[in-house]
Amino acid sequence: MANTKRYWSGLDELQETEAFKNIQEQEFPEAKSVDEFLSDERLESTHTGRRDFLKFMGFSLTAATLAACETPVIKSIPYTNKPEDVTPGVANFYASTYYDGHDFVNVLVKTREGRPIFIKSNTKTGVGRINARVNASVMSLYDSSRLQGPQMGGADANWDAIDQLIKTGLQQPGRKVLLTNTILSPSLNRAIDALKESAGVEHVQYDAVDYGAFHAASLADFGVSSFPSYSFDKANAVVSIGADFLGTFGDTIVYNDRWSSNRRPESGKMSRLHMFETTMSLTGSNADYRTMVKPSEQGKIATALLKAITGQGVAANLSEAAAAAVANAAKDLKKAGANGLVLAGSNDINTQRIVNAINVALGSVGTSVIHSDSGLFQGDFKAFKALVKDMNAGEVSTLIVSDCNPAYDAVNAEAFIAGLANVKTSVSTSLVSDETASLCAAMAPNHHWLESWGDLLLDQERIDLVQPTIAPLFNSRATGESILTWAGIPTDWYTYMRQTHAANYESSQMYTNSDWNKAVHNGFIATNRANGEFNAYAGGDLTAAWTELNGRKGGAFELALYQKTTMGAGQHAANPILQETPDPITKVTWDNYVCMSHADVDAMGLNGFIGQEAPASVVKVTVGGSSIELPVFPTPGQTPGTIGIALGYGRGANGENIGKAAFQSAENGSFQMDASGKMTPVGANVFPWAVGGGNHVEYAQYDITVEATGGTYPLACTQIQNTFMGRESIVKETDFTSYFAERDIKKGLASWNKRITLGVHEDVNGDGNIDALDSKPTDAFDLWHEHAVEEVGHRWGMTIDLTTCTGCSGCVTACHIENNVPVVGKDEVRRHRDMHWMRIDRFFASDYSLKKGEEEGTGVISSYRRMEDPALNPQTVHMPMMCQHCNHAPCETVCPVAATTHSNEGLNQMTYNRCIGTRYCANNCPYKVRRFNWFNYPGYKKFANFNPAQDSLMRMVLNPDVTVRSRGVMEKCSMCVQRIQSGKLDAKKDGTPVQDGSIVTACAEACPTNAISFGDLNDKKSGVSAISENNRAYHALEEIGVKPNIFYMTKVRNVEPTQA
Amino acid sequence: MQREAAIREPLILGNKSYKDITDDVVGPIVGPAPIGWKIMITISSIIAIYGVGCILYLIGTGIGVWGLNKTVGWAWDITNFVWWVGIGHAGTLISAVLLLFRQKWRMAINRSAEAMTIFAVIMAAVFPGIHMGRIWVSYWVLPLPNQFGSLWVNFNSPLLWDVFAISTYFSVSLVFWYIGLIPDFATIRDRMTKPFAKKAYGLLSFGWSGRAKHWTRFEEVSLVLAGIATPLVFSVHSIVSMDFATSIVPGWHTTIFPPYFVSGAVFSGFAMVQTLLLVLRKGMKLENYIHVKHVEYMNIVIIVTGSIVGVAYMTELFISWYSGVEYESYAFINRFSGPYSWAYWIMMTCNVISPQLFWFKKIRRSLTATFALSIVVNIGMWFERYVIIVTSIHRDYDPSSWGEFYPTSIDIGIFIGTLGIFFTLFLAFARFFPVLALNELKTILKSSGENYKKNQDKH
Repeated sequence: MANTKRYWSGLDELQETEAFKNIQEQEFPEAKSVDEFLSDERLESTHTGRRDFLKFMGFSLTAATLAACETPVIKSIPYTNKPEDVTPGVANFYASTYYDGHDFVNVLVKTREGRPIFIKSNTKTGVGRINARVNASVMSLYDSSRLQGPQMGGADANWDAIDQLIKTGLQQPGRKVLLTNTILSPSLNRAIDALKESAGVEHVQYDAVDYGAFHAASLADFGVSSFPSYSFDKANAVVSIGADFLGTFGDTIVYNDRWSSNRRPESGKMSRLHMFETTMSLTGSNADYRTMVKPSEQGKIATALLKAITGQGVAANLSEAAAAAVANAAKDLKKAGANGLVLAGSNDINTQRIVNAINVALGSVGTSVIHSDSGLFQGDFKAFKALVKDMNAGEVSTLIVSDCNPAYDAVNAEAFIAGLANVKTSVSTSLVSDETASLCAAMAPNHHWLESWGDLLLDQERIDLVQPTIAPLFNSRATGESILTWAGIPTDWYTYMRQTHAANYESSQMYTNSDWNKAVHNGFIATNRANGEFNAYAGGDLTAAWTELNGRKGGAFELALYQKTTMGAGQHAANPILQETPDPITKVTWDNYVCMSHADVDAMGLNGFIGQEAPASVVKVTVGGSSIELPVFPTPGQTPGTIGIALGYGRGANGENIGKAAFQSAENGSFQMDASGKMTPVGANVFPWAVGGGNHVEYAQYDITVEATGGTYPLACTQIQNTFMGRESIVKETDFTSYFAERDIKKGLASWNKRITLGVHEDVNGDGNIDALDSKPTDAFDLWHEHAVEEVGHRWGMTIDLTTCTGCSGCVTACHIENNVPVVGKDEVRRHRDMHWMRIDRFFASDYSLKKGEEEGTGVISSYRRMEDPALNPQTVHMPMMCQHCNHAPCETVCPVAATTHSNEGLNQMTYNRCIGTRYCANNCPYKVRRFNWFNYPGYKKFANFNPAQDSLMRMVLNPDVTVRSRGVMEKCSMCVQRIQSGKLDAKKDGTPVQDGSIVTACAEACPTNAISFGDLNDKKSGVSAISENNRAYHALEEIGVKPNIFYMTKVRNVEPTQA
Repeated sequence: MQREAAIREPLILGNKSYKDITDDVVGPIVGPAPIGWKIMITISSIIAIYGVGCILYLIGTGIGVWGLNKTVGWAWDITNFVWWVGIGHAGTLISAVLLLFRQKWRMAINRSAEAMTIFAVIMAAVFPGIHMGRIWVSYWVLPLPNQFGSLWVNFNSPLLWDVFAISTYFSVSLVFWYIGLIPDFATIRDRMTKPFAKKAYGLLSFGWSGRAKHWTRFEEVSLVLAGIATPLVFSVHSIVSMDFATSIVPGWHTTIFPPYFVSGAVFSGFAMVQTLLLVLRKGMKLENYIHVKHVEYMNIVIIVTGSIVGVAYMTELFISWYSGVEYESYAFINRFSGPYSWAYWIMMTCNVISPQLFWFKKIRRSLTATFALSIVVNIGMWFERYVIIVTSIHRDYDPSSWGEFYPTSIDIGIFIGTLGIFFTLFLAFARFFPVLALNELKTILKSSGENYKKNQDKH
């Protein structure tokens, strides 16, 4: 029933008077034209006072001004239906597994509002912790150069057309080949088998960095083709001949975990590491004994070691120093016996077989080296070479390239490229149009690993799972799905994968199978298979091997090709964060270069000091017929007579759209163009210089020429002073014997970690005299009031163990991503303006000291000068350095506006909003950890090509919990205050005190060797408080009395006492 | 009337009468601008505009356009700041301290010295402003009531003391200078025939009528202001020095800084006065008022302060060794032998060795030599601040962060620009303001004028 009630606004309306009707018809009842209004004579009688007029004027001016100052409107769209488990502001973590053909690790992916923004280790699985490369790989998800969908002949295509093309291609006569990297996925292998069956496709595996000789040597000696598993946790003496197992060699993530577990001096024993290598690697910088050898001598080291241990074979002719080092290593190995471990990095079967023989002789095979059926690095270079040959002969009709990029990283890339032109149907599943994909007829982009399902079998005991953490951003398709389609299997990839593990899986069980749900939650399925047993050592005559190794001769210069710890083999070239992460040894960013010994640099008259305005000299390196010009970085520890060049650079040399950060930006922010108008890649590609004549690829050249060109090239280095100038209150180190002798002594009294005291004018020791013996510890002196942080509430603190810190830089990238630290590019890094909150100071030891100068009668000035130069083969210290959160912070007292203050939980906190940018705090910071926003990094054109905040897609990776800082403010380590706050809130919700370990900073979480611990120093039961009481703990620069909340642990080297 | 001994040189030469003084000072203001002045102000304003352009570019783009880095957070900005503040010391010292000491020779130079002070302090004030990352919130350094809650400035910070010291010094100097100008403006007003200019000078002279009461008040105020200004001469640079002295940076953390900085400031201030006045007296034909005697007196001040500075340098070196502190001693070894040793030795030569030449009477009384040496001293004092600031922080505690500083074109442009602004202001002053305190000068005409002293000799 309609409502018949009416309401009246007045009597006029009820009575419907004439006047009311008139008014009602007019929209603006009293509307008058301007003329009419002005000509109204009554107007003259009205009166607006001057004051009123001014008031109105003032008001309207203000109103107009305010209206003009509108802030930009940023629309955010709320959920119409809130997804289950997604609460804005609350992060979700999903277990997944990272595998890119080299690094393999279980991870937890942090997502916020559906966006993956951070990758951390899934420590519960017990397989190592992530490294810098894996950590930073989240950036690649949001790379705007990713393919938006399938392409054919350079134009967008649809999936049907692609499938049609391939299916037609697969029916052609000739070889049909699927070229992939090492496949660890059982489901993918099943799908590939199906493809093999249905279309007669052959599967060739190819690894960017070849490890074929390891498999071949295992096969020859133990009858199983496998990549050895090295158990550094069981090894008391490790001898590595050029294997950078902490940085880039093999299954490095696991090795870090295992190696460091045996490097804890508190346990009463430490393993000892002997390193024989050419270019200083991360492992070499952590070695107790490091010997410089040329690439051609590495095999001789192996034969000499064999001779020293077993008496077998012929000892090579080595230099005196190398022979002594081998004898020393052999002595330790013999002592360790089955707990010794020898490994070599050279991908050469003779070397590997000698190494196997040594390990067998030591008895370590089965304990510290296991030759089981590990699936890593199955790449078969011989098959790849045959494929390239057939491609060039026109015998390959169809080529499917997946997860590998041979047009860039193959030794015979040129032949591969030429052959690819003869392949009728070629398709690549690469995510970006990389060197190989851009030459293929079609591109069928795979999902990013964060978008896909997958299963991986590395260890026989379990299957690790990959789960999607975001819906595919683009019109891509999982490679597994593509292969199934091409094999004519109608099942979708997820179902197919489930069926691999449960044959009778039905789609109705998608969410209901609790075993599967648990497996996805944990990130792996435990299988009941045991690791395969390997056969007994077959042995055999090694005469040919040692004769070949001992007969190797080198020329005037030898070349070692290596991978950078932060960059890998080139797959991360477009990752701005990894490009900006300094190399742990050289501290150079954004380039590859020639590593050369200071001796050679001086002999060739090249620049020995690289600084902001001191560019590097350019040399022309010639290998065979090809030459490349590269800058020279004088690298301590580089063997004289050799050079080292990093692989993995020079990506996109033909202008392939692989990502903006892979190319050099000019100072004005545009891309740097070469003469032909192509974008200049970062660094140069030296993969073609690997040696691929045999069945395996070797990464060294024994005779090359290096000539000075007279040119210069700027290098961006974050640390230009290489030694710590004898400042022992910054770096404390000792040897294991000395440590062991005083291991139980009270903190502050050990000879290697003496508490620093300051002299006072009172008779402290009561001997009746006031003299140099009267002193008090630094904490007896206070200029300011004590901050009430001890024993009150929380007091957040950190301990960093210099013994286990390898300098890998995982913490640097973790901090970078967690805290939205700006990427500033090469030119700004060169200007010494890197923004890293967390940096790793790398100090090389110098041969010289003031004491030595005194003995030799050298003046103090020249002694200091000589202390600036590192030794030719120096010992190295890696020292993570970030805000020390001083309880008497010098930065806090000098800020005129109190923008940096002390929290009552011991944090030195930076209030960006309040900062006016005087930089006084940074000047007054003794640790130089404060970073100033010199430009508007998220907006200024100079940073457009590489700053994630400037890319509309990559901006998604920014952590919403951390402010993106504006120009002109100071920033620095906050000890991940956002994590502290959220951890405290969680505890509060649970109604419990904050549990030790429930809050972890990004750096501590990322540390693969557990060198960094974080926690509440006031909680006497916390791990960090216990470590801070350890007698190895000290404050850096203790004598200046700033009372940091960060403790360093004295570095203990396992060397003989005289050599510490 | 107070009389001087006959053996003293007269302060005003050229048989001047009262009228001559007025003519000599007001003449150039009333008359047309000379061509030389026009050329000079054109050049200096072009430089000034370039400097302003650089400043705007800096503010628009970010501090990154300077050459600073994570290790060296201050370089040319604060060097220029301290240098300009130092220069700004001579004026007030001459007018206030010398007034209290009844040094009559100051009367010929105090006006322009004070003008120099004001302009130098303005230039100095530019740098703390523009060196801030966010100049648009620079008012936060003032303890203003605000709506941020209980947010207040940090009274522990020497930078805040700076704000107070500089602003106090500037306002007192300005008032002092202006009070002195009032009777002179009145004289110009009385001479001026152009109506607009007459009106303007009339306004500037605050209705001065020259009554005895006005003169009494004038002198009382001058004395009071001199009393206030004198401690400020010492406080300003002491406080500026505390920016460094209260820090923990080796090479900055030095208790000797306040007296060392003050004498350095007087040293550089007098040098700048010499530079300006030697040009001014030539250009404006004031040779009879500012002559060798004045120059000699000022040179004596330069020797004394220069020597104090030299002693301070030696003391620093001694203490750095004597303290036994590793970082402290390295900071000074690095200063004279490290990458910036060239700057250190420029500083030593210019500030310690060159002023010692003034011990020779011939040099002390040579205008050419004085002019040359005054510029040398100014260069030396700029380098002193550069050495203190940059060489201390470029290699401090943590060797991993050691770095170097390289100035950019903007660093240089802004410094040159402030010189341009300074000279533009000073040239404008020379054109429109009485460059000598003419009414004060008249008071000493009889006691220290050449003509009158001759008469005195007769009796």
